[in-house]
Amino acid sequence: MPTENNIKIFPKSVVCEESTLRGDITFSAGCVVHPSATVIAEAGPIIFGENCIVEEYATIAHRLSDGASWDANNILSIGSHNVFEVGCTVEAARIGDKNVFESKCFVGKGVTVSSGCVIGAGIRMHTAQVLPENTIVYGQQALQREAIEKQGSQTLQIDFLRKVLPNYHHLRKPNYDPKKARSVV
Amino acid sequence: MEIADTYYSKDEYVETASGNKVSRHTVLCGSQNIVLNGKVIVQSGAIIRGDLANVRTGRYCVISKNSVIRPPYKQFSKGIAFFPMHIGDHVFIGEGAVVSAAIIGSFVYIGKNAIIGRRCTLKDCCVIEDGAVLPPETTVSSYMRYTAKGTIEGGQGNPYFVPAAMHDEMVNYTKSFYEHFVRTPAPAS
Repeated sequence: MPTENNIKIFPKSVVCEESTLRGDITFSAGCVVHPSATVIAEAGPIIFGENCIVEEYATIAHRLSDGASWDANNILSIGSHNVFEVGCTVEAARIGDKNVFESKCFVGKGVTVSSGCVIGAGIRMHTAQVLPENTIVYGQQALQREAIEKQGSQTLQIDFLRKVLPNYHHLRKPNYDPKKARSVV
Repeated sequence: MEIADTYYSKDEYVETASGNKVSRHTVLCGSQNIVLNGKVIVQSGAIIRGDLANVRTGRYCVISKNSVIRPPYKQFSKGIAFFPMHIGDHVFIGEGAVVSAAIIGSFVYIGKNAIIGRRCTLKDCCVIEDGAVLPPETTVSSYMRYTAKGTIEGGQGNPYFVPAAMHDEMVNYTKSFYEHFVRTPAPAS
């Protein structure tokens, strides 16, 4: 892990200062990170797509496997419109778009989450597997089925949070503007 | 039964005029929107999200370590709204619980690591077991026990699930918890 944190925040994202961010992390436009959220990029960079929400005590980690070391090409890419609810722990290998990780769920290292999936509250997934699109994992036995209807979008919640959070929290400033970066090149 | 004393160091907790004991290691967002009505204990690591909507608790509540109190939201056709959250008197919220209920009555016991979904209603004198997961918009009525298996059991006059004296027991429990939550005595010098 590089000793210096390298955190890129695109304009229009709201990242609270009380969150714990370690390693090389990129938040695309419109992400919302609540206070006391944790993102750890240990094995390689983490890139969040647009409009992701990371709530309190959520932990998103890109962990080192045994004997491995930091590799800048080993990117954990997280798609857009994902929601990580209170207290979830996500160490998945790859995450697509429009997924919901509900409260206190655990998604282990070998899991690949495609798009439109919902991991129910309190569910623990340890074994390596690939979740097909629109899978819902639910209930005591962590049953899986395909979603009947599509998940509602979270844009309204993001709009609200983007309005409210700056009134109450110190935010990390957006420090990366893709337009300016292009003009420099 | 007497509860053993729990000690806290003077530096860690702030005691207000109305007797609230609030740890310094909590995240109280939007503190102007949080009302603690006196003799409430908020332990370290707890998060109360007053920035999203108002949160009001009654007297003698215990909010344990690492629990998250988060007002519920509802999505409408245009925009979403967060609703204020009311918690009654003598409510115990266990460690690591995530509470997004709309209303919590008085004399309610919420176990460790329970997850109360959005806009649930918990009526007076109900019990939520450790690790139970309540789906959004659930109502648990008085003298009912929500089990970790996901069933609702009991009822008034059925003392096997919730004690008939739940009211008195919660009053005693939260009061003695408050009284036995004491500052570490200064070393005799």
